[in-house]
Amino acid sequence: MSNRITRRGFNGLLASGASAAILASTGRLALADERLRLIWWGNPERDKRTLAVVDLYQKANAGITVDPENYAWGDYWQKLATQAAGKNLPDVIQMDYRYIFEYARRGQLADLTPFVGKELDLADFDPNQLDSGKVDGKVYGVSMGANSMSWVYNKTVLDRIGGELPDQTKWTYDDFVAIGNDLKGKLPEGMYFVAERASQENMLQTWVRQRGKELYTDDGQLAFDVQDLEDFWAFYFMLQKTGLTPPADIMAMDTGKMEENGLIVGNTLFNFHHSNQFVAAQNLAKDEFAIVMIPNQAGGRAGQYLKPSMFLSMAANSPDPSAAAKLLNFFITDEEANDILLIERGVTGDASIRERVSEVLTDTEKKIIAYLNVVSTHVSPLPPPPPKGAGEIDRAIRPAWEAIAFGQKSVKDAAKEFYEFAKTTLARA
Amino acid sequence: MATTAYEATLAGRRLAASPGLGKRIAASWRRNRAGYLFLAPWLVGFFGLTLGPTIASLYLSFTDYDLLTPARWAGFENYDYALFRDQRLGHALSVTFHFVLWSVPLKLTVALALAMALDRSVRGVTIYRATFYLPSLLGASVAVAMLWRQIFGAEGLINQLLLLVFGFSGPSWVTHPDYALWTLVVLAIWQFGSPMIIFLAGLRQIPQELYEAAAMDGARPLRQFFRITLPLLAPVIFFNLVLQTIEAFKAFTQAFIVSGGTGGPVDSTMFYTLYLYLEAFANFRMGYASALAWLLLIIIGIFTGIAFLSSRYWVYYEDEGR
Repeated sequence: MSNRITRRGFNGLLASGASAAILASTGRLALADERLRLIWWGNPERDKRTLAVVDLYQKANAGITVDPENYAWGDYWQKLATQAAGKNLPDVIQMDYRYIFEYARRGQLADLTPFVGKELDLADFDPNQLDSGKVDGKVYGVSMGANSMSWVYNKTVLDRIGGELPDQTKWTYDDFVAIGNDLKGKLPEGMYFVAERASQENMLQTWVRQRGKELYTDDGQLAFDVQDLEDFWAFYFMLQKTGLTPPADIMAMDTGKMEENGLIVGNTLFNFHHSNQFVAAQNLAKDEFAIVMIPNQAGGRAGQYLKPSMFLSMAANSPDPSAAAKLLNFFITDEEANDILLIERGVTGDASIRERVSEVLTDTEKKIIAYLNVVSTHVSPLPPPPPKGAGEIDRAIRPAWEAIAFGQKSVKDAAKEFYEFAKTTLARA
Repeated sequence: MATTAYEATLAGRRLAASPGLGKRIAASWRRNRAGYLFLAPWLVGFFGLTLGPTIASLYLSFTDYDLLTPARWAGFENYDYALFRDQRLGHALSVTFHFVLWSVPLKLTVALALAMALDRSVRGVTIYRATFYLPSLLGASVAVAMLWRQIFGAEGLINQLLLLVFGFSGPSWVTHPDYALWTLVVLAIWQFGSPMIIFLAGLRQIPQELYEAAAMDGARPLRQFFRITLPLLAPVIFFNLVLQTIEAFKAFTQAFIVSGGTGGPVDSTMFYTLYLYLEAFANFRMGYASALAWLLLIIIGIFTGIAFLSSRYWVYYEDEGR
């Protein structure tokens, strides 16, 4: 008997619990009018600035809550792909040139063209930069600014040991190596002349472009020869043997995070960065940094190009596209928001914002502007977007190079094997 | 062993006395309703989060699926590629075997040695036991893997010690292809805690009289160990061996963190699980990664099966009367 009563009581308890839960959930729905999700990759500096802009937006738009998500570059694309598979992409998405075509063509991104002139105010926007975010003639991303590749160096140390650099628009790798050999003995204990960048896709890209080639053709085939790769790796192997780069096991400690970068750790004088990363790098170090162009090969054409640093895109499945477009617009055109963002993501294409922002820039940020002004007259056209499988090839460069660096394979064999691997991967993708 | 026969008889009697199947199910449902209700959270978790995805992954292993576009049926293509054409998978397998074959026996040896050292009534022995168990609580965590990277790094603790004691310093152990895997083996051995606890419990089960009798017959400690401890501990060793082998095949976090998610340098820490992960979440080959997961299940199954078959020749149960 008592058992029965207990059970009935238990059922009653369950029922009341369930109704309470339902009440609670509807109550919450009624309270939060609008939630928007925003996702980006970056570094501590970018996170700080972006979160400040999110606060600003929420204050200016009562009833709208922006849920921010941010990851490091490597984790970001895994997270994004998983969310895309679950049809759960955030409303506003930071996008990269490498992926925008794939995401747009697979229907994951919203066509922004209908919003232009309405929610999106792009009247002042540089048409060239706007074009960089177009896929098949439609706007799928608004560029957050242009950047380019660069050598960043520790100016404090270079000045102290009396090093001097030639005209950055004309210098060659021969000059670079000569300077390195000259300074080698004067560098502080544990510091090498330059970081090994033989495992970086963008350095290989610059290398083959200086030779008038590309990594990939428009239809997604390899557009360089195995000899180019062999020469590229042979050059860095020479640097390693002559002690201009750190030993292989020291280089392997750098997994691509800003905090592990040789400039920050203090084991290299020169290192690679994208120009928009310069602020973040400088803010992590005590010494003063400076930024110059990557040396050319003797007689080579311009290898660098102006790259849209990143885009803001909108998810195709956004429940309220108009609200998402407004948030996106806030990042591009709002004056107060850009007073916070400045040029951390890149130099914006919005003329009036660029003018406003250029008056309040720090010395560090002014160096980027000056650098881009120099570079923009020494670039060649934007390469075609990388094909499917390019990401996998990119990641395979590192182990392939390391086999050379640790003495397991000859440059020639490693280059040949890697070239075959790249071809198979493109065919398989 | 004795209970099973008894239970079987009971079950048989119950079966013979039973009325129709439908009624029986209804009756048992009435009787066990509350039980199932209390099980419900776990059942939901099991069906929704374990069984469902497992079945889905079996289906996906026969497809081509990149997350962005719907899965496309591919038949046995994924299995065919994995078994006959994927060279990097062969390498990942050899790294994994290397790890399993070294880490498991060494870990069990250390665990047994420490269990024997701690199997005595000294003052404060429980504190020692707890202390020695600590690494296992921490070992599989991200924090310790990151710490490991520091300790075995170029200017890490190990090299500082070498410099202090021997006057020279080693390479960056975690990022050198000759040593990186060994740092992971050491990390695995360091997590000897849970097999150690199980060994301790096993040692407690061995009757003291056996040792006393052996001592009286003049058997020295070494002989006692090989003639009494090891044979009587065999079932526990077997249990630990199977568990730790499965664990070692599944190891992921350490390699992922220590290599910065790359399996490097030169793929020297490319565990099977890490390769699977990279195929899935870096190269977006969900179908292929699912096939790899099922192949790993089969591989682990084979090794466990071998352990069970071999156990007939070296594991003795007291109540077997052999």
